[in-house]
Amino acid sequence: MKSLILVTSAAALSLGSAAMADGQVTKAAVLDTYADIAEATYADSLTTAKRLQAAVDALIANPSAEALEQAKAAWIAARVPYQQSEVYRFGNAIVDDWEGKVNAWPLDEGLIDYVDASYGGPSDENEAAVLNVIATPSFTLSGETVDASKITPALLEETLQEADGVEANVATGYHAIEFLLWGQDLNGHAAGAGARPWTDYATGDDCTGGHCDRRSEYLKAASDLLVSDLEWMAAQWADGGAARAEVMADEDAGISAMLTGMGSLSYGEQAGERMRLGLMLNDPEEEHDCFSDNTHNSHYYDGMGVQNVYLGEYVRVDGSLVTGPSLSDLVAEHDATLDAEMTVKLSQTMMALGRIKTAAEAGFAYDMMLERGNAAGEALVMGGVNGLIDQTKTIERVVAALGVSAIDFEGSDSLDNPDAVFQ
Amino acid sequence: MRFLSLALSILLPAAHIVQAAESEAIVQAHILPRYALLDSETAKLADAAEADCRPQSEALQTAYHSAFDAWIGVAHLRFGPSEQGDRAFALAFWPDPRGSTPKALGALIRDADPALDAADSFASVSIAARGFYALEYLLYDPAFKDAQTAEYQCRLITAITQDIHRNAAAIRAGWEDGYGALLAHPGNDTYRSADEATRQVFTALSTGLEFNADTRLGRPLGTFDRPRPNRAEARRSGRSLRHVVLSLASLRELAGLISDSDAELDRKFELALERADRLDDPIFAGVADPAKRFRVEALQQSVRDIRSVLSEHVGPRLGIAAGFNSMDGD
Repeated sequence: MKSLILVTSAAALSLGSAAMADGQVTKAAVLDTYADIAEATYADSLTTAKRLQAAVDALIANPSAEALEQAKAAWIAARVPYQQSEVYRFGNAIVDDWEGKVNAWPLDEGLIDYVDASYGGPSDENEAAVLNVIATPSFTLSGETVDASKITPALLEETLQEADGVEANVATGYHAIEFLLWGQDLNGHAAGAGARPWTDYATGDDCTGGHCDRRSEYLKAASDLLVSDLEWMAAQWADGGAARAEVMADEDAGISAMLTGMGSLSYGEQAGERMRLGLMLNDPEEEHDCFSDNTHNSHYYDGMGVQNVYLGEYVRVDGSLVTGPSLSDLVAEHDATLDAEMTVKLSQTMMALGRIKTAAEAGFAYDMMLERGNAAGEALVMGGVNGLIDQTKTIERVVAALGVSAIDFEGSDSLDNPDAVFQ
Repeated sequence: MRFLSLALSILLPAAHIVQAAESEAIVQAHILPRYALLDSETAKLADAAEADCRPQSEALQTAYHSAFDAWIGVAHLRFGPSEQGDRAFALAFWPDPRGSTPKALGALIRDADPALDAADSFASVSIAARGFYALEYLLYDPAFKDAQTAEYQCRLITAITQDIHRNAAAIRAGWEDGYGALLAHPGNDTYRSADEATRQVFTALSTGLEFNADTRLGRPLGTFDRPRPNRAEARRSGRSLRHVVLSLASLRELAGLISDSDAELDRKFELALERADRLDDPIFAGVADPAKRFRVEALQQSVRDIRSVLSEHVGPRLGIAAGFNSMDGD
C-alpha cells in the first residue's frame, strides 16, 4: 500500500516538473487545463449518452431481454464520465443551475411509474409521490389539470420536473432513466438490484406492468432530453462557450471556483449527504444509484473528478489523456510540502473509494454495507467519508496558501432549496 | 532590537496573537460551559424518563424542553468530538425530508425490536430513530403517544434519553480531555496555526447563521405560492421559533468572542432577536398567511444581514473566510 502511494506521488511529481519545464506556471494556463478537462468530460458524457439513446431506441423497436441488458450496460458506461464532471458543479453557477435536469436525486419514483405497495402513498412532503404518470394520462397537479396523454420531453421538463415545488419529483435525467431500466430494488439490504422485466416494454399481450407504450414513450423522452441537455453543457465549455469564458474572466475567481468545486463536492455533498447519511440511516434507498446498485462506481468517479481537477489529468472514454499545467503545479510553486500533502490525501481517498468498489464488484453490494450492525460495511464507507473530510481540510489550506479566499459560493439552487441534511 | 521586532511581526502578525487568545476564550467561555450544561440537562432527562417514561409525564416533558434548549445552544459546533462516532447526528437528525424518523420509529415499534435492550445495540440503530427529534415524535405526535403499544414505547423513550445523555457526556468529555486544548492552543496537527483555529470557529458561526436562515426559517417559508408550515422544526412540541431565538443568542455570544465585540455585528444580532421576539408565531404557522408571512421573511432577512456583516466586514478584518460546510451540497 505504502509503495503504491509513493509510486503515485512520484508520477505526479514527474508530470509536475514536465509542466513547469519552461518556467512558471500561470493561473491562466491552469484554468485552460481546467476548462479543457471540463470540455472533454462533458463531450464524453454526451458521447456515452448518445450510445444510451441508441440502445433505448433499439429496446423500444425490438423489446427483448438482451436489448434491456444492453441499455443497462450503456447506462452504466455513461455514468463513468458524467460522475467525473460533478466536481464542476459547485463553483460554476452555470453548471449548478443546470445539473438538476440531468442528475437530480433522491427521487420519489412513484411519480413516474408503478411501485411496490411497501413504498407508501402521498406524503406530507410530496402529494405527487405516487402519481404514476405512465398509468395516468390526465391528472391534477397543484390545482391544475394536466394533459399527459402524450409523454413528451416538454411534459417531463416543464410540468413534471420538480412538480409542486418538490425536489423529490425528479422526472428527467440519469436517475429517472435508471428507474425505467431497472425498476425498484426490492431486495432491501440483501444482494441484488432492481429487476424490472423486459416485458415492461413488450407490445400487445406480452406487456407487463401496464401501459408499455407509455413507458416506452417516457423512456424515449427522458433519453432524448439527456442527450440535448448534455449537448448544451458540452457547448458551454467549448471554445467561445459561456462556462469557459466565465472561468477565464477573472483568474483568482477561476482558481477559487476550482477549489470550491473540489471542497464542496468532497465535504457537504459526497462525504455528508451521499455517503455518511445513508450509513447512519441504514437506509438502502439512500444509495445514490439505488435502482442499479451502481453506487460504488458513482462515489468512485466523483472522487476521481476531484483528483482530475487537482492533477490536471483526465482519461477520456477513448483512452486518450487530457493533461496540462495543473493546480498541483501552481500549489507546488508556493509550497511543495502542501502540494505533496494534497496529492497524497487525494490518493488515499481514491484508495478508500476503490476498496468500496472492489468489495461491491466482488458481491458485497453497497446496500449490504449500509445494513445496521454491518461493521465491515461501515468501515468501508467511513473509510471513504474520512478520506473526503481529511482532504477537505487540506483543500482549505490550499485556498489559504493561494490567497483566493472568496469561497462563499451558492448556486441559486442551494439558495432556493436549502434542504441541507444536517448542520 | 528594531530588526528583531520586525522579524517577529512578520512571523506573528498582531492579529494572529489576538486570535490565539480568542480561541482559548471561545473554548473556556462558550464551548465548555455550554457542553457542560448539555451534559447535566440530558442527565436529568434520562433520570426523568427512568422515573416516569409515559409521554404525558410533566416532569419528562419539562426535562425534554430543558435538554433540547441546551442542545440548540451547541448545535452549531459541528466539529471535533461532536463529529466522532456520529454523536451529533445521533442527537439531532433534522431536517427529515423523507420522513425517516416516523418510519424508523414505526419499524422498531412494529417489530418490538430488541435493539433497545442494550446500549451498544441501540447505538447501531438508525439515527432517525434516536435523539431529540425522535423523542419529540414519541412524546407529542398523536400517532405515537396515543398508540396501543405503550409498554414498548415507554422503554423506547427511556432508551432514547439514555442514548442522548451518553452522546452528550461523550462530547463533553472529548472537549475537556484534549480537543479543547487543540483548539485553544493551535500549533498542533489538527490546528496548525491560529488562523486554522479561527477559521474553524468562524465557519461554525457562519454555518449556524445559514442554517437558521435557510433551514429553520427557509423550510417552513417555502415559496409564497407554496408555503410549508408542516416543515417547521419541532413544531409538535411548539419549539420552532424558540430554536431560532436560542440559536441566535448562542451565536451572538460566539460572535462577540471571535470579533472582539464588534459593535456592528452585535447590533445586527440585536435587531434579529427583536424581530424574533415580536413575531408571536411559535411554530411559524403564519407563513401560510400573507398578512403574517412577511414578518417571518423579515426575520430571515435580518439573520442573513448578520451573516453579510460577518463575511464582508468581520472576516476580512480578521483575515479569515469561512471554510467548507455541510450545507455546501444539495
